[in-house]
Amino acid sequence: MIERLETERLILRRPTRADEAGAVAFYESDRSKFVGGPFKTHIAWSCWAADFGHWDLRGFGSFAVTMKGDDTCLGIVGPYYPATWPEFEIGWLIWPEAEGRGIAYEAARACVDHAFRDLGWETAVSYIDPENARSIALAERLGAVRDDAAPRPDPEDYVFRHPRPERPA
Amino acid sequence: MDHRMTQAAPTLIEIPTVETDRLRLRAPRWSDFEAYAAFCASPRSAGVGGPYSRDAAFTRLTAVIGHWQLRGFGRWLVADRDTDAPLGIVGPFRPEDWPEPEIAWSVFEAAEGRGVAYEAALAARRYAYDVLGWTTAVSLTTPDNTRSIALAQRMGATRDGSYMHAEAGELYVWRHPGPEAP
Repeated sequence: MIERLETERLILRRPTRADEAGAVAFYESDRSKFVGGPFKTHIAWSCWAADFGHWDLRGFGSFAVTMKGDDTCLGIVGPYYPATWPEFEIGWLIWPEAEGRGIAYEAARACVDHAFRDLGWETAVSYIDPENARSIALAERLGAVRDDAAPRPDPEDYVFRHPRPERPA
Repeated sequence: MDHRMTQAAPTLIEIPTVETDRLRLRAPRWSDFEAYAAFCASPRSAGVGGPYSRDAAFTRLTAVIGHWQLRGFGRWLVADRDTDAPLGIVGPFRPEDWPEPEIAWSVFEAAEGRGVAYEAALAARRYAYDVLGWTTAVSLTTPDNTRSIALAQRMGATRDGSYMHAEAGELYVWRHPGPEAP
């Protein structure tokens, strides 16, 4: 199981309990409105615990995103496949302090590559609320395109389908 | 960009396995999911706030595992020691909205009437006292969960008031005998 990825500026690693405060704060805050929140504290905690267990049940999961040289978690980004999802997803949740620096893009780029290269995915999507303009912009920056024919867990969501990354020759 | 792989984060714990005469208490696996989702969808989950959708069942089962990583202890998947068939979820449990750590149990329909919950809950209580160093333990039940109340009493627990949960309402608190208990 691959539990760590490295990019130009970032280390993506499997979450640890040290990442709890930022994650629970995210799920409690209005920023989680596009993933069903904001949640009460105990539900927020369960959401966070569930991010952990996804790794064990699926053999992959969302990474804690950190800057090189600073292990502070700035968000949770990675391959995501709950039981009811029609297909594999790349998801991203970014804490407010990491906004505006291209961190989500760099992390998501690495995770799309990871999914195709290491996990052997044939395709990958991201499910995004139509009102989540930042996420839509990120999906488009990643080269993903709307796939309105694809099934989705929430009929209101957009499905963005990621292109297969180009491989070096 | 270069995405080199390095070794795993060292801070994760491995969920321990505990064996009893007939049972194996172990980490949940993907192969347990259908049995767990069936439990969540059934009236049997009413005592833990159910029924729950399949989507919620996935979150709940992954959170069972995450609880171990976040707390250092948690609930096990109770499996038949011979066949490995999933029979329930039992173990020490401490959600955010709980008054104190408890010994929790949920048993799937396939395990009903065979003393599986009793055997697993006793092992969990033993683990809480011997390995985790708990000096006291409770179990919480809804007031109408007669089967769980009977199990708490069979384990020697006695009523110790109620806890008012924000969503579940009144929960009975059952105080177990201390570390000297069997």
